[in-house]
Amino acid sequence: MKINPQRFFNFCANHAPLLRGLAEASGEISEADARRLIRTTGNSGDELPETTWRSLRELQILVPAEAGSDFYFLAEPVNRLVAYLFDEAQAATPEIIRGYIQSLEALGKQLSRAIDGDDISVVRLALEEIQQTLRRIQADLDETHRSILTEVARYKTERQTISVRDKFRRIVHWMDRYVDPMVEIVREDGPLRGTFDEVERLLNRAREHGLFNDLPALERNTRHLRLVSRHALRVFQQCRRELQPLYESLRRSSFIAEGAALALERLQRDGLDGWIENHVIASCSLRLQDVPGDGAIERALRNVVEHPPESAPVLVLHTEENTPAAYLRHIWLESLPDEADGNLPLADLLGWIINRYPQKDTADTLAGFTRLVFDGRYSARFTAAESRAYETHDGELHANPVELTSP
Amino acid sequence: MNALPHVQEIFDRLRRGSHLSPEDEPAFSAVAANPEAYAEYFEPLGLKLVRHPREFFYFAPESAESVPDTLPRIAVFSFILIDHADNTGKPIEDFLLNQHFFISRLPHLSLDRYAALLRQVEIEDAAGLRQVLKNMERLGWVKFHGEDEFRFLRPFHRVFDKCLELSATKGGETPLPQAEV
Repeated sequence: MKINPQRFFNFCANHAPLLRGLAEASGEISEADARRLIRTTGNSGDELPETTWRSLRELQILVPAEAGSDFYFLAEPVNRLVAYLFDEAQAATPEIIRGYIQSLEALGKQLSRAIDGDDISVVRLALEEIQQTLRRIQADLDETHRSILTEVARYKTERQTISVRDKFRRIVHWMDRYVDPMVEIVREDGPLRGTFDEVERLLNRAREHGLFNDLPALERNTRHLRLVSRHALRVFQQCRRELQPLYESLRRSSFIAEGAALALERLQRDGLDGWIENHVIASCSLRLQDVPGDGAIERALRNVVEHPPESAPVLVLHTEENTPAAYLRHIWLESLPDEADGNLPLADLLGWIINRYPQKDTADTLAGFTRLVFDGRYSARFTAAESRAYETHDGELHANPVELTSP
Repeated sequence: MNALPHVQEIFDRLRRGSHLSPEDEPAFSAVAANPEAYAEYFEPLGLKLVRHPREFFYFAPESAESVPDTLPRIAVFSFILIDHADNTGKPIEDFLLNQHFFISRLPHLSLDRYAALLRQVEIEDAAGLRQVLKNMERLGWVKFHGEDEFRFLRPFHRVFDKCLELSATKGGETPLPQAEV
């Protein structure tokens, strides 16, 4: 359906806020939402909302998403017009720029064939199309640059509450989606430059071939090629410089926020057990208890330093000349049971020991007595005899006689 | 060795876990003027003097067998504040280090989730928050301006370092800047 331009622009003039609202809705919008927007934005006259809604469809400003649907989208030409009017740039995607490159490659082949076939009209058409493509590339690059600048400015002035991590994700999206791939495309050894060089070579060939005599057009194209190539690289280097500081600052903030969120999440999930070890910021804690003073340390050191030297003990390692008395005593005690064996029964054990070994002192005599009394092979008992005195080598003992027998 | 200025005061502060930042004059200037000499002085005692890239000093903590109750409280308190700054879209370091805060306006008790986390470290109310801040003041991380108003000092960067460490551990990335001796 043909649209009356005057009616279209009159409507636009009276409904600028509505058009902007529809453009900002981006994507499909339901009829209910569109009607709500009409009511909230109003208009300059006394137009009824129903009339506005009808005009939106009649002027093909809103187009149904599909036949019979209640969902609509803002017609693309209107969308671009609104973006242009409100200076709302839209970034070109790497795919768009790659599309232009492919288009230039196709045009290059067409131009090459036309030069080979001396087809001047096709050469002219190809040159015009190349010129048009270059203008589009330049316009899209400028728009991308502006949209990135707008995005950066928005981050710096945004009052809306968006978490640091979300901001970082958005910046990363811009870097990953637009800037980095674009730089790859437009850099000096990238595909854009390669295609431009090839087109320039063909333009030179067309000039040298001589059949196509519109030299100003050829030169214009060549100049434009070089300009766009330089401009593209500069634009994306500028974009990267704009985004990089924001990216760095948000990256650090985002990681800090992520670390804190992780710590809190783990505490919430697992409780305090095991959490402390990995999440607490440790600090030095040197406890002092019963610490000696400087004077005490100094005195202790002085005692050590001034302690008189003492010679080390000397061990006697040679064989002794005399048999040790303790060893002889041990041998005697161990020989007693065999001695007693041949004289059993003994009516008076102590008397027998003193008579047999008169040189033994009291201690040895009693040790011999004890050895035989407690020997398991013999039986010892007190006799009914009266207590009597026993004279040893160095003393006297008073005791009741003890009989030693073999059981 | 004995010629090192303020060495007794510096030792007494650092051994308790405190940090020396430009707020702690004249001790800070003394160490900042000759950090190597102080590090060398403390080394035979088994104490490692750390100079943080953000220009403050502390003794490297040893792996303690028992952690004082105050440290988990400080950690939870700090993580909540960072989480809040993130949720409200504020540039975290700039927000926390370049403005004054009021205990009565802290976000810690405004959300049930935060309150539940604080209860795990036995902080129940504003008095508990105040006590945590007093502990942080002893560490040299906070400076009070009156009863209710305070601000964070440079050594609070240790909390940011811990967050970066946790984030890097999760993502398998190289940890971001750490202190040097």
